[in-house]
Amino acid sequence: MCLSVGAVIYGFIHSLLIFYALNQPGITGGVVADMPYFVSSSLSLHVGVLVDNLAAMMLIVVTCVSLLVQIYTHGYMREDPGYSRFYSYLSLFTGSMLGLVISTNLFQMFFFWELVGVCSYLLIGFWFYKDSAAAACVKAFVINRIGDFGFLLGILMLLGFTVGFVNGQPQNLWGQTPLLSFYGADGGPDLAAVLRRAYDVRAVSYWGFNGLFVMACLMFMGPMAKSAQFPLHTWLPDAMEGPTPISALIHAATMVAAGVYLVARAYPIWVAPVELHSQPALFVVAAVGCVTSFMAATIAMSQFDIKRTLAWSTVSQLGYMFVGLGAGAFTGGLFHLFNHAFFKAMLFLCSGAVIHGLHGEQDMRKMGGLKKDMKGTGLCFLIGCIAISGFPPFSGFFSKDEIIASAWNFNHFIGGMMILTAGLTSFYMFRAYFMTFSGSYRGGDVKPHNSGPAMVYPLIALSLPSMLSGFLGANPNSFASINWSGEEGGVFANPFGSFVYYLHPHFEGINGIIMLVSVIFAAAGWLVAFMMYREGKLSWNTAIANSKSPLIGGAYRFSFNKWYFDEAYTAFYSFVLRLYKNVWNFVDMVIVDNIVNGTSLVTAAFGQFLKYSQTGRGQYYALVIFGWVAVLTLAAYFIKP
Amino acid sequence: MPVSTDVIRIMTPQAPNLLTALLFLPLAGAFIIMLSSEAAAKTVARITTIVMCIAAGMLAYQFNPSVPNLQFENQVQWITTPFPLQYYVGVDGMSLCLVVLTAVVTLLAVYASEKVGEKRPKLYYSFLMLLTFSLVGVFCSLNLLQFFIFYEFELVPMYFLIAIWGGPRRDYAAMKFLLYTFFGGVLMLAALLYLYFQLATEGPNSATFDMIELSRRAPMLPPAVQGIAFLGFFLAFIIKLPSFPFHTWLPDAHVEAPTPISMILAGLLLKMGGYGLIRICMGFFPIIMIKYGWMVMVLGAFNIIWGAMACLVQQDMKRIIAFSSVSHMGFILLGIGCLASAGINGAIFQMLSHGIVSAALFFLVGTVYERTHTRQLPEIGGGLAKQMPKLFYFWMFCAMANLGLPGLSGFVGEVAVFYGSYTSWVAQVSPDAEMAKLWIWIAASGVILTAGYMLWLLKRLFYGPEQPKWVGHLSDATKMEQALAWTMCAMILALGLCPNILIREYGQVSDRLAATIQQRISLSSLDARPPVQ
Repeated sequence: MCLSVGAVIYGFIHSLLIFYALNQPGITGGVVADMPYFVSSSLSLHVGVLVDNLAAMMLIVVTCVSLLVQIYTHGYMREDPGYSRFYSYLSLFTGSMLGLVISTNLFQMFFFWELVGVCSYLLIGFWFYKDSAAAACVKAFVINRIGDFGFLLGILMLLGFTVGFVNGQPQNLWGQTPLLSFYGADGGPDLAAVLRRAYDVRAVSYWGFNGLFVMACLMFMGPMAKSAQFPLHTWLPDAMEGPTPISALIHAATMVAAGVYLVARAYPIWVAPVELHSQPALFVVAAVGCVTSFMAATIAMSQFDIKRTLAWSTVSQLGYMFVGLGAGAFTGGLFHLFNHAFFKAMLFLCSGAVIHGLHGEQDMRKMGGLKKDMKGTGLCFLIGCIAISGFPPFSGFFSKDEIIASAWNFNHFIGGMMILTAGLTSFYMFRAYFMTFSGSYRGGDVKPHNSGPAMVYPLIALSLPSMLSGFLGANPNSFASINWSGEEGGVFANPFGSFVYYLHPHFEGINGIIMLVSVIFAAAGWLVAFMMYREGKLSWNTAIANSKSPLIGGAYRFSFNKWYFDEAYTAFYSFVLRLYKNVWNFVDMVIVDNIVNGTSLVTAAFGQFLKYSQTGRGQYYALVIFGWVAVLTLAAYFIKP
Repeated sequence: MPVSTDVIRIMTPQAPNLLTALLFLPLAGAFIIMLSSEAAAKTVARITTIVMCIAAGMLAYQFNPSVPNLQFENQVQWITTPFPLQYYVGVDGMSLCLVVLTAVVTLLAVYASEKVGEKRPKLYYSFLMLLTFSLVGVFCSLNLLQFFIFYEFELVPMYFLIAIWGGPRRDYAAMKFLLYTFFGGVLMLAALLYLYFQLATEGPNSATFDMIELSRRAPMLPPAVQGIAFLGFFLAFIIKLPSFPFHTWLPDAHVEAPTPISMILAGLLLKMGGYGLIRICMGFFPIIMIKYGWMVMVLGAFNIIWGAMACLVQQDMKRIIAFSSVSHMGFILLGIGCLASAGINGAIFQMLSHGIVSAALFFLVGTVYERTHTRQLPEIGGGLAKQMPKLFYFWMFCAMANLGLPGLSGFVGEVAVFYGSYTSWVAQVSPDAEMAKLWIWIAASGVILTAGYMLWLLKRLFYGPEQPKWVGHLSDATKMEQALAWTMCAMILALGLCPNILIREYGQVSDRLAATIQQRISLSSLDARPPVQ
């Protein structure tokens, strides 16, 4: 434990130093260093270190959250027999995630991408004796592999466009830059320049689409699986079978953000088709984010498991980030990633404290009134709820509004959905808060107890950024000139935005009306939750849940059963497996083996005639075989083709 | 790149007879075992393999990887009439790596033979040594006839090792193995003689079995003649590899073979097929490969999917690993068929990496089977992790290597084959480029299936609640098992983290092969003629 935590402390200090160094005046751009991993004359792959502002931001997030979660783990897992195994997995995960963050090229990104995936597999299946955990970890890995498959195809297509052949001559558009790099090195072109040249050299069309657009969509499958976006989202809620520190670190704060990070890092891939062609891959990103965000929010409204509610809210918030990136709010999406990492990690750790305090109880129907026994935890959870719902001045407000405003400018429908989802978010988060912490205790005999210092201090440490980190993205000038006309506002740099700024379409203005509307929606969500679960004045919830009407009751069941995705996938999967089984049995066992056995039958039949020539002497057989070969060869020799 | 070590290595003088010594070492070992007592057999075998490993290490140390030439050449005239025949050995980077792999896997197999070798140890260990002898012989022979003799000779010890020390259906499996491989051998013999006699018609002195000469002369033959000879060799090697539709001997042989023999079978024997494909099919008949390379790629891609599909429907854990070998051998075909340096490079890496990973997996299957006495997954029922935590970690590690996790050796070959084949001339420019690309896409979906069956296997073995029937009947890995597993896992990790330690040994081979082929392609496209009329 000391080794593991010590390493992370060092990493955290180092990240802060990097951040400090990059903020020195006169420092622009990043540092790139590569070394060869795979070398051949036709194509070589490199791994290396890339430190720039974007990476520095992620380094701080990863090391900070890892550090706090590792300290928290000491309190949470102390009695578990797999205590040291847990720390080794945690360290492996943190290492892989840091490797992913400092990747210099897509190949290295893929490398660590899979490694964090396997860490997630190991940690979900940490309690391997539980059947549900065993099923969940396999599901998580296989769905992630589906995403990796798309990612791999995307990389292959990109390679095909840039290191393939033109008119039979080998071409390499990368020049001095190592293949697939994000940054140009030694005077070579960077990713955007290479894509531009690829488009000029080979305007390939795939099924009527621009080749670069197809590539961007395929590559987006990777982020879709890793960041649990529709329709590859089903693994994340099941991943809650793992211990709660893992849910906080991997399945809320850091690993699931890797997809967002990839899109941000390789932004030219998604932007390029917009610049060059009329089919925008960014729209796909935004649309997927929008659907996911809304779907996950509707599902979170009806769940009773505290961790699963938070998991669905993670899915929903990741959707926000993709909407931000897709709508062109590059800094907004990343800012939400940054803020979300802190408050969501805190929310999960709070839920862990609750579960720990109730000896493993996760059902919110059996909680309530815990505010009395767990003052600190309750307060932190409340801070998290305010932050995630987007009430000013907590952190979620700033980043979410940036996203919603740019989404509105990008597409009114997506913007509207985002505002609606903001209201739903507020409702389900406060529903969880009221069900857990207020009212009276419904847990029966289990006596709730508060957690030790190793669990409480990380919570307090995380509550500070949850409250305050939003101001990193606020510029006093922006407030001074809020645009109330509903038009797109002027572009104002804020400290966060100018730090990770990227030369691409982005929106940093503040749209006063949109801001006001989304806050009103959030307040309405809070009010409904308050009336239903705190005061008990409204009883729509029970009415809807027990409704016999196919429309209302059906909608409830649709939400409660997570839109029936699992059922559909299971049916599809078993269908495919059965199909495989039949095809395989038929071909391998019936056709191939019967031909083989058929030959042996023919042989046996011949044997009946030829058995008189069997002398039992090995030399004789060898002579016959070699004789035949000689005859056949001679025949072939004379019959010249 | 550590330049300094390269300089030292170039300055180290090469011992001229080292390779010959290494080749005959296991043969000598076999004779000594036959002459010694039953009790001493195991010790002699262990000493022999350790000495072999040391010799192989010296060979690798003295080898100069910066030149593509053959090294440690040793040539002795054997007979002169009716045709001149020589004993001729030598290694280039690829065969060097395979020889070293042979030494290492054999060492592991001998140490894994403790249980199996209790039954008639003298016979067992001498057969094992003979098998090693023939394997080293295949990888370092430079005379085609000598190559063929070693290639066929391997059948004899293998047949007996399966038929005497195998499982319940050993007779069937051994016979199936023998018939399949013998059929392949006869095809190869026919192709070899055909090639020889066709060369004889070209001129009085042009017929030869010298593989170096053949790689120069065979491409001069008329394309149709080359086609026939190619087909013979190709069929022989894909039976050995094995590839669909000649793969059905493999699961049967594996299921019945004892653990150490499975390790050698999967780790080394299959590599003879891949080695032959690269050395003979590609080296001798480049224009056939240029024309039909895409078909080889399609076959490889189909193998990847077919093997993985088969894994999903098996109930026997050893069969799953066997079919996963079929699937992984598909990568070799895919890499070879694309004719690009990165693809061939990846195919060779895949051979070496699979040699270790599959040996490790078969070894682990053996450890579980020794404890549960069943290989049927429904009978085992899961939940073994509680009683065998150490074995569980080793299993996890090797399963991850098998499904191509980055950082472990399985990943490098797959990635190099995918990247290399997709950017190759065959998949980008050739008339069949679209077909080749489509099949690479299909093959890429294998990454999902592979993850599916490996994790499902792990889940059905180790995850879940403990089964009452196993309580108190199982034990964790012994010291010896741990030592062997650690060795293999360390190698898998080292190759995965730093593949260049291996690639720089054989990289010249694939670069040169690809360059020759690229030259032919450019020539033919400059003449505006199709490569084959």
